[in-house]
Amino acid sequence: MGLFILRRLGVMLLTALCLTFIVFFLTNLGPNLEKLAKTQGNNRMSDAEVVQWLENRGYTRPLVVRYGEWLGVAPGWTRVAADGTETGRCVDRGMTIETAPTFCGVLQGDLGFSTVSDNEVSAIVGGRLALTGWLMLIAFSVMVPAALIIGILAGMKEGSRTDRTLSTISIASTATPEYVSGVIFIILLASSTAGLSPWLAENGWIEGRTLFLGSSRSAMEDITFWNFTLPVLTIALYGMGYIARMTRASMAEVMTAQYIRTARLKGVSFRNIVLKHALRNALIAPFTVIMLQIPWLLTGVVIVETLFNYNGFGWTLVQAASNNDIELLLSISIVAVIVVLTTQLISDIGYVYLNPRIRIS
Amino acid sequence: MDPLTWSGSLGPFLNPLMLGCVLVFVAAFILNIVMSLIGMRQAEPIVNADHTISYRLGAPDYMLLAMKWAVFVFLGAIMIYILGGILQPSMEAKGIIGGVGAQFLPVWISLIVIYALSIRFKRRLGLYGKLFDNLIGMIGFGLVMFWVLTAIFAPMIATHGPIDVISGLRNDPPGTPVSGGPEDAFPYYLLGGDALGRDVFSRMVAGAREVLTIAPLATLFAFMVGITLGLPAGYLGSRLDTFITFIANMVLAFPVILLFYLLVTPEIIEAGVPVYMAAVLFVLPIGFLWVLLYSRFRAQPHIIKWVAIPLVLLLTLFYLGTVFRFDPIVWLATSFIGYLNQGNPVGEWMQTTRDSYEPLIGINIDGNLLIVFVSVVFVNSPTVYRIVRGLVLDIKTRDYVAAAQTRGEGPWYIMLWEILPNARGPLIVDFCLRIGYTTILLGTLGFFGLGVDPESPNWGSTINEGRRLLTVYPHPPLPPALALLTMVLGLNLLADGLREESLKD
Amino acid sequence: MTQSTQDQLQTHPAAEMYAREYKDGHLDRREFLVRATALGVSAAAAYSMIGMSPANAAGHRQTPPMGGTLRIQQEVRVGKDPRTYDWSQMGNLGRGITEYLVEYNRDGSFSGILLESWEANEDATQYTLNVRQGIMFNNGDEFTAEDVAANIRGWCDATVEGNSMSTRMGILVDADTQQAIEGAIEVVDSHTVRLNLPSPDITIIPGIADYPAAIQHRDYIGQDPLEHGVGTGAYRLAAHEVGVQAVLEKNPDHEYWGEAYLDRIEFVDLGQDPAAWMAGAESGELDMTYETTGDFVDLFTSIGFEVSEVTTAATVVIRPNQNNPPYDNRMVRQALLKAVDNQVLLDLGMAGRGEMARDYHVSPIHPEWADVPAIEVDKDAAYALLEEAGEADHVFEVISIDDGYRRDTTDAYASQLRDAGFNVERTVIPGSTFWNDWTNYPLSSTNWNHRELGVMILNLAYRTGVPWNEAAFSNEEFDSLLDQANGIQDADERREVMRRLEEIMQEEGVATIPYWRSLYRHYRPGVINAEMHPKFEINPHYLGIEA
Repeated sequence: MGLFILRRLGVMLLTALCLTFIVFFLTNLGPNLEKLAKTQGNNRMSDAEVVQWLENRGYTRPLVVRYGEWLGVAPGWTRVAADGTETGRCVDRGMTIETAPTFCGVLQGDLGFSTVSDNEVSAIVGGRLALTGWLMLIAFSVMVPAALIIGILAGMKEGSRTDRTLSTISIASTATPEYVSGVIFIILLASSTAGLSPWLAENGWIEGRTLFLGSSRSAMEDITFWNFTLPVLTIALYGMGYIARMTRASMAEVMTAQYIRTARLKGVSFRNIVLKHALRNALIAPFTVIMLQIPWLLTGVVIVETLFNYNGFGWTLVQAASNNDIELLLSISIVAVIVVLTTQLISDIGYVYLNPRIRIS
Repeated sequence: MDPLTWSGSLGPFLNPLMLGCVLVFVAAFILNIVMSLIGMRQAEPIVNADHTISYRLGAPDYMLLAMKWAVFVFLGAIMIYILGGILQPSMEAKGIIGGVGAQFLPVWISLIVIYALSIRFKRRLGLYGKLFDNLIGMIGFGLVMFWVLTAIFAPMIATHGPIDVISGLRNDPPGTPVSGGPEDAFPYYLLGGDALGRDVFSRMVAGAREVLTIAPLATLFAFMVGITLGLPAGYLGSRLDTFITFIANMVLAFPVILLFYLLVTPEIIEAGVPVYMAAVLFVLPIGFLWVLLYSRFRAQPHIIKWVAIPLVLLLTLFYLGTVFRFDPIVWLATSFIGYLNQGNPVGEWMQTTRDSYEPLIGINIDGNLLIVFVSVVFVNSPTVYRIVRGLVLDIKTRDYVAAAQTRGEGPWYIMLWEILPNARGPLIVDFCLRIGYTTILLGTLGFFGLGVDPESPNWGSTINEGRRLLTVYPHPPLPPALALLTMVLGLNLLADGLREESLKD
Repeated sequence: MTQSTQDQLQTHPAAEMYAREYKDGHLDRREFLVRATALGVSAAAAYSMIGMSPANAAGHRQTPPMGGTLRIQQEVRVGKDPRTYDWSQMGNLGRGITEYLVEYNRDGSFSGILLESWEANEDATQYTLNVRQGIMFNNGDEFTAEDVAANIRGWCDATVEGNSMSTRMGILVDADTQQAIEGAIEVVDSHTVRLNLPSPDITIIPGIADYPAAIQHRDYIGQDPLEHGVGTGAYRLAAHEVGVQAVLEKNPDHEYWGEAYLDRIEFVDLGQDPAAWMAGAESGELDMTYETTGDFVDLFTSIGFEVSEVTTAATVVIRPNQNNPPYDNRMVRQALLKAVDNQVLLDLGMAGRGEMARDYHVSPIHPEWADVPAIEVDKDAAYALLEEAGEADHVFEVISIDDGYRRDTTDAYASQLRDAGFNVERTVIPGSTFWNDWTNYPLSSTNWNHRELGVMILNLAYRTGVPWNEAAFSNEEFDSLLDQANGIQDADERREVMRRLEEIMQEEGVATIPYWRSLYRHYRPGVINAEMHPKFEINPHYLGIEA
């Protein structure tokens, strides 16, 4: 088992390396650098000024060398301008080339500088990630139980009317993307001119103007039921259907198994069969699906954070990508890779743990 | 002219009826739940004296019956509306529902013909025929076919052009009479005007065509790529498998939205990246086709000579023309003329040829569209690859594969003609699901304003444009949103139906 | 050395002439105020010259109660050298820290902030700036004439990348050294600066009232005030996260020379989508918007926000770039103008909120506006012109930013061209990349903010070779007439020159200029002195909120 995890960690490292190199390559294509120079320097720079700007900041050197610098395996560039000011990758404000470290990359724990936020990447990513963590956590704690209950109820008696109704509901939920459901939720529940809120406010049943808040900005400081319900609901709804269908399929399969039939023939009550015999085995497959759902939800998080103005990780991704913020994007992809591969690892380990019939060779 | 009402002349009769149906349905539903909660049992079987079993119906069953009939009557009323729309002469009498229903006339006719024929001959139609034994599958198929037919008949259905602007009708509600447009224009904006005074209904219809060209085509390419890579990886295994699986996992580890943001930008198109990606992704299907034909007809050289080689060559020309805007025939001809003319360096010739000659075959795809297409294929193919690989690993242990091996068939023959046909069931199901997913994905791109033509009636971008003013003008984004929902729902139901029927085998 | 307004009143004969013109009905009140105050007459004095009480004037402010926190929806951008500011939002954030010499008021008048007063000589070649006494920087240094001179020298430094002040100060810049002309900036005494111009220029005062003209400490010129934090303002930066929020709080270590009411001002960045601002307003996350556009004007009003409107010369310019064929052909440009009905653009792009314009960049609210009639819309003639030019097959790619009214207007423009039979393709570029190349797009739309005088915008955008000349327009007659206009103080005389300038713009088909926008801002009831400003300015020192 230890060896297995070790190998997976190796793969993770390799994947992260390859991916960051791809991101590095794409963000450092000529037109992208030009865009960066113009957004950072000035909109009206001439081509010669752009080249100069890029050269002054070390962007014109070979791609591989700069990737090495970012990793921290190649020494950072330094440059002494005509008027004697010393600049360099590792030279922070108030430092000289002498006092600055030679290497400053990921290996040294330096994630670099975000051009769009005018701040250290490490200072940004952590906080934003925590915000998204809360969103994901609450969304999951709503989505997973709901999905499991729907799935189990539907799969208990395959083909029954309950099954048909619940299955259709879960299919409909997977067919409703976040950008549709989020918008509909805002209209119905968080608009003072349409939907439920004006009616509720007229009758004096709600204190504010709207039932829920259509903007989750305040949730960044203080999460409340009113400012967090809509984003959570939007994410949970789209993800729920898929898990529910997996659970239903798994449950339906288990219910036709020999040992369940035996138990029924022995006269064990239906409730006991479901709770004591079927449930554990039926949950193995959904467990892996749930874990693999985490990275899949990232797209949803990006949409929801943009829609509800919640400045988390997804929102940062949009900002970084649309401004070609190279080092921020690299850190974002590292985080993404770690999340995806860790969830895969957990899902594999969990699968083995839950299902004693499988042994990893 | 007065604006149209929703229900036209039939409204006074049918509206109360439909309202009644809804009320009956809701009441019956609540009563049914209450009854089950207080422990009333549903239909109890009674064994009759002649050993047949009949059911004694209880109160909850009558509630269910009431619900069923309420639904039937409701659907019937809608049918009457549509029929009324088709049969009644004046627009005022048709109303908006009738008017819209009448515009869809070619779709209704085709749907009826398709269903009639399919149900009549369902026993001879294999898996497709079995679909008509399954209610869920039939509903799903109906929804999907509705939009497919809408896309096909779009010019007949749409009342106005998707980008025709009549400035006086900005944000006007459904049923507004048209004034100020061209003389021969359709007299109403059936579903109102959007923020720029374009007809919402026509844009939705035109959007169907756009969505239904890109999404299935991109999915098809993703499948071809996934199958071409997944078959050898699963069947041959070893290093190849490890390598491709690593790449696939890597693409899967990329957050989709980050990938889109990195790929679908004007800068990337400027740098030529989409062309390189298209060059790699689009060459795989051609290779796939060649191997497919060659492995089967190796022993019949005349088929290879007269069918396989010309077909693959034609596709290669098409590929070169589409991806590189390069046509070797034109190139050779012009080079030859250039040689005759002398004094014109070859390198320069290549450049001028490519710039000034349109390829004889090949589609000129706009850079934006190409990158969207390539990105969607790129994102989808690793998942397809994993499914195919998994299926191959399962199927290759079967007896008929071993039989083929002992017969001495080559590995490609076995992969393509033994394994692939036996994996088609799950693949078809996944194909349906994946078209839905791709449609949602394209909408996501539209939501972030990535790579879409601003005037395009594409559902995703129309929803995004309309959502800003949704609180005051809900009519522009709702039709495309409902269209997207019903279509994806249809695809999902269809996939479900297919899965159930194929499992019955 | 504080001068009374009475002294100034007598010092400027031209202002008295304007006052007569106003009384005879040649000038409206707004025009009179712009011209008189630009010559150094204080707003109060100017009002009294025409027999009005300043208390009734539109620009008069209330006195809010002390204390409170105000949240303003506004983009939060990166800080940088004020001279290179390219967004009024940057000026608004910095305005709490670094103040300005002069401000432009809602009613079109100018009044001093760090300047007590100023005077121009009769032919507008010499300006005397009287610096307000007793102002301290928050690092303890006194604010003197040296600071003013150092700042003006900094503005004139044309070698600084992206210094837009050097264009505004163009008359003071030596073409060879790219620095201020020797002797042009003269420090008379510790609180008086004199500007000696080589030729008359009436745009100096409007120029130093603009947002890049923030006054820095003499030692910090060229640096970012958000970073060093030194300035004369009452506030300091408490938080600044680009794209998220910025917070100004009252600086307890600094004795501010004037009054500042609020304790804390939060700039909340809700992105570019007005629907998100609306959601933010409904969720109670903001008290005031930076600007409200299009249909959202009614929406914000409907949720109980108060609206403030100001008519301006702000507009959208849809221009062909003459460096790109076929737009180097005058016939093609004229065909473009003839094909487009500006009224439709106003209706579709702005929901009719504004005045129709006539394809020249001088608005009726500019003092020197000459009444040149609009080009007649004739789609058939337009297409005939296009055919005559041999460009009937050309595909016109119309580019715009992906945002609100600019996009809608450009969409309407595209459909107008299409109606006339042109082949049109639309391209929308996201806000983050649009401005990278905005002066070079072959055919695109750009929004232009309000400028105080008609000549200012022509100098900035249509003179041969200036950096913001996005139409790549170059016309000798135009340039020389413009030089002439720059030296004419009397608006009536200038109007004659202006008439020809306007005609040239139409004849040359420089750009489609469809309308003059009305600008709107919304705020919660109880917010004080937050009225919309024609140049989007927000001065944190004036704002207040009722408890």
